[in-house]
Parts: sequence; structure tokens; C-alpha cells
Amino acid sequence: MSKSLLDKVWDAHVVEDLPGENALLFIDRVIAHEITTPQGAIDIQERFGDKLYDPDRIIAMNDHVSPAKDQETAIQAQVLRTWAKRHGIKLYDIGDNGICHVMVPERGYVEPGLTMACGDSHTCTLGAFGALALGIGTTLQAGAMLAQCLILQKPKVMRIDIEGKLGHGATAKDVILYVISKISFKGGTGYVLEYHGPVVDAMSMDERMTLCNMAIEAGATSGMCEPDETTIGYLRGREAQPTGEAFEKKIAYWRSLKADPGASYDKVVKIDVSGLRPMVTWGTNPGEVVPADGTVPADANATSLEYMGLQPGTSLRSLELDQAFIGSCTNSRLSDLRIAADVLRGRKVTIPTIVTPGSQAVKRAAEREGLHDVFQDAGALWTHSSCGPCLGMSMGVVAPGLRCVSSTNRNFPGRMGNGGRVHLASPAVVAASAVLGRIGSPEDLEAAAPREKVTA
Amino acid sequence: MAARVKTVVKVKGQTLCVERANIDTDQIIPARFLTGISKTGLGQYLFLGMPGGPEMLAAHPDANVIVARENFGCGSSREHAVWALTDRGFKAVIAPSFGRIFEENAYANGLIPIALDGEGLEAALKSRTIEIDVEGQKLTTEDGKTYGFELDPLRKRFILEGGFMEWMATKIDAVRAWEAARPTV
Ligand code: SF4
Repeated sequence: MSKSLLDKVWDAHVVEDLPGENALLFIDRVIAHEITTPQGAIDIQERFGDKLYDPDRIIAMNDHVSPAKDQETAIQAQVLRTWAKRHGIKLYDIGDNGICHVMVPERGYVEPGLTMACGDSHTCTLGAFGALALGIGTTLQAGAMLAQCLILQKPKVMRIDIEGKLGHGATAKDVILYVISKISFKGGTGYVLEYHGPVVDAMSMDERMTLCNMAIEAGATSGMCEPDETTIGYLRGREAQPTGEAFEKKIAYWRSLKADPGASYDKVVKIDVSGLRPMVTWGTNPGEVVPADGTVPADANATSLEYMGLQPGTSLRSLELDQAFIGSCTNSRLSDLRIAADVLRGRKVTIPTIVTPGSQAVKRAAEREGLHDVFQDAGALWTHSSCGPCLGMSMGVVAPGLRCVSSTNRNFPGRMGNGGRVHLASPAVVAASAVLGRIGSPEDLEAAAPREKVTA
Repeated sequence: MAARVKTVVKVKGQTLCVERANIDTDQIIPARFLTGISKTGLGQYLFLGMPGGPEMLAAHPDANVIVARENFGCGSSREHAVWALTDRGFKAVIAPSFGRIFEENAYANGLIPIALDGEGLEAALKSRTIEIDVEGQKLTTEDGKTYGFELDPLRKRFILEGGFMEWMATKIDAVRAWEAARPTV
């Protein structure tokens, strides 16, 4: 039988069939962060003799609010730390940490064919490697640490073929925002999105991660890309990967995971991105999105309009901004920072702008290229790595009524701060908007404000 | 803390009807309240991220069943959303559809996720009281009409009997045997 990528990964992990079309699915790696892990770890300690199935299958990190911002978050970090130490779990902590979905790939813990789970909805990011990566709650994560399994109904598969030549300035972020606008904010519910097509094939791993990161924003169980030479090239030499023959042996298996020709899908969607321009959300879910030079739709949802302080027909370019943020597991990898720096080089931001690299390793790599100077010369704040304001917890929370253009993934009411208004966009658009003080693409910026002469 | 989920067989409920779709978990409980290490005491933060949420809750102090429009609980995986609801005394959520992770979290904590649309949902949205028979998988609205609903048979057990973690613990030996026999890549 011809199999999809999901079929292949799924079949290799079913421990037992369960009632109600459920399966007991083996999880190769569990990722544990400080916000959602402590309650489950404590439960296992109190009621199950502190026994974990296999501590070597767990990777832990303090990432969401790191360093801690107050007493409570300090305790969360400390609980994770002592728990990891007690069990000999690999822990990434202050100084060498980063956002879990950035760090896990960067250190080579994800690879094609694995099943991964984490108490975090953006775990789907890891599907870029051809793994089945699942966001779950605390109790299910605890179950996965106790018995190394999840109870799951096999998701349906939506094959999304992405074709065409992107318009000027459009990036992977614009592609995924466009995909969500096409299939809708809840259109992926019950599905794994399998991304195919020449546009995806040509993408770097960073770009594929951006694409998979927002699968949950269409309600999907996860996103997946087929492993190929790009995947293999990325993983070669990473910290958690073996070298020499052991690595070569894995490659043969990874190559076998490509979807079979003639595999059947529950749904097939073709998305033509020809001429796609940079996209920006106007509303309160990621599907409420238009081109950066567009206007708020005539049939816009009234609740979204009210929250965002907008009227149908308002041009996004006319919106004055109060803050800009480049960061998050969607767009804070080295390639994202390079793109933002290219826009900011020789220019000045006009609104408070925060640039937060996705991991300390990304931070150091960026600094080796001098990107930190570009950001700081432009007047932006260059921070250590953390989730920061993405979820409205620390390091730049947005005040009520203020408008923030952000390279993150969620524009829900209150997401980046109670009453704060978020416009999602690519790092390039965020950077251009930070200079303009209103929403605009790098092209708009070029037209409005040619850059100062760059010396050196 | 974190004792077994309490047995819920029948719910006689007062409703809190929220005529909205896409109530995400950031609205149910904003991230700034996720700084603890306990599953309890989160009811005080319920709906603080939803425009008009606190007022709505204050107007229905005894409500224990939420009725809402589609895609309830989408977004973040935070189980705190379910803990905030149960801490506040909610026993069930009725909506046409749920965010996948929220639905799984609900089952694991004995909060009944009831998928209902069409006439049943409209009746529930108008109903001040509701009776839910979990075992029989049916609910009765204020006008006396009864509507059936589906529950995942395995997860239903976790609502009726609790013990999701205990159930997982019974599987450890089988999982180890499976792993030992697994072909190495
Ligand atoms: S960066 Fe934002 S979306 Fe990503 S894991 Fe952190 S809080 Fe979640």
C-alpha cells in the first residue's frame, strides 16, 4: 500500500490498538519546559514513585521566562532544574538555552521519523524534519514521561502542495499566513498538514520550521515536511547526532520516509503563491490577514474589529504603531535575523523595537556576523534569548490599546499583553515597519526613506 | 494535589452561554497567570483575557456548564485553561468543535467536552439550565428536548472513573516489551 509520510511515521510507533480507533503511540522524545512541566513532574513524584520511563528520552529547558522575572517564575525554573538533575535529564539553562522549538532542532534532537511531544502547542515546528511532533497538555505530557506513550486517534492528512514563484519580498512567514487564510484558522482541525511542492522543496530548514510552526494556527494536529538532502545537510554534525557510519546509516532510513507516489490523502489542497506579497494580520486570529498594502476587509468580524480598533476599509499602511518585536519560535533563527538586519542596516527605528534571538547559540552566531551592532545602531534593543513578549509574560509586554507589529504567531486578544493589539508579519515587514512607525514592507520603506550611506 | 479526577456521571447545570467562536486558551487564562507550579487555585483568573469575560462570569456566579460557538479552546496547549474552568466549578463545555489539545486536556481532567451543533447547540445556547447524562451521552435543555452526543469511548472512561495516569501506568511493561522488540534504525 502506498503510504504518506505520516503513515510511515505512525506505523512505526503504534504499540497497541485501543478502543475508539485510538492507538497507544510510542513517543521517542519528550521536551519539557518550565511553564507546563512542573505540575506533571510533581504528580509523578507524589503518586508514581518519581519514576520516569526513560530520562534519556527527555530534554528539558528553561525558556519561556528565562532568566526568571519574579519569585513565581524563579520557582518554576528551580523545580525544573532540580527535577532534571535528580533524573539525569539533559537540561539547557540560563546561558546556554533558547526557545524549545528553536533549540531542539539546532542541537539535533529532532530527526526524520521520530515522534516528539511537548507541553507546548508549537511543537509542530519540529515536523519540518519529517517527524511527527505533537503539542500536548501537562497531564498527557506526564503520561508520556511515565509510559513514553500518548493515546491518539490517527490524524487525517491534508496534503498541501505549494507552487508558484513568490512575489518580491515574500517569505515563508507570508506563505504560511496565506495558507491559513486559504484553509481558514480552524480548517486544519483533525489533520496533519503535509507540505509538498516545489516551494517547500526549495526552502531551507529555517523556512520549513516557520511553515510548520503555524500549522497549529490552522487548528492542525501538526505540520510535516518530507525529509530530503536539505534536512540531512542541516542535521549533519549537530550535537545530538552521531558521526561517521552511525549517521550514514540513519540517512538511508530517513530517505525512505518520503511519501510514496500514489499515497492517499484525506484532503489535497493546491496553493499557488505566484506573486504573493508580504502579509500582515489585521484581526485577532492568524487567518484574518491581508497583504501589507491591503485594507481591512469589508466583511470583517465585528468582535475582531472592535478589539483591534479598526474599521472595514482601513488601510493597514495608515496604522500607527507603538512597538515592534522580532523574535519567537516562528521567526528568530539566524536567517530571520539576517533578513531583519538587512532592512535595518543604516536606518533608525522610530518606535520601541525589541529583537530577541531564538536561542543563545543563535545570539552568538548573530553577533559573530555583527548583527547585534546593526540592530543596536538602528536603535533597537538586542536581548538574550527567551519567549519574552510573544506570550505577554516578560521582556516587552504590550500595554492596553497599543499596537505592536510582531514576527510571532498569535494575535489573539491579550496574547502579548492585556488589551494589546498585535499585527503578525515577517521579520522583514516588522523591521521595515519599525523604521516607518507604521505598517509597511521593505519596498514601502525603500520608497519612503532611502537608507543612509553605510560606512564600513 | 493532583488527586484522581472526581467521578462525574450526571450534571445538573446552569449555563454560561458565550455567543462567540474561537475562544482561545489565551482568553480563557492569559499567560501572565501561568507562573505557578500547582493545578489548583486558577479559577480566579478564568476569562480574564476575554473582552467582557469577567463581567460575564460575575453575572452567572453559579454557572457550571459553558455553551459556546465553534473552535472553543483553540491555541496554546496550556492545561491551565481546563484547570481554571474546573476550579471555578465548571463540569462541561458544549460547543460545535474544540481545539484538539484543549479537548484532550478536558478529558484528562474530567471536564466533559460535548461537541454539539445545529438545533441542539442553538437550544443549549438559549437554555439557562441543562442536564447532562454522561453515561447515556445525552443532554436535556430547558425546553425539555433531549440531544445525544458522542464521546470517545476510551477517554469517556477517564471522565467516569478518573485515573488517566493510573491507566498509563498499567501500560509500562507492554511498552517496554514493544520497545525491546522494535527494529533499530
Ligand atoms: S516563542 Fe511564543 S509561541 Fe513560541 S514557544 Fe515561546 S511563547 Fe510559545
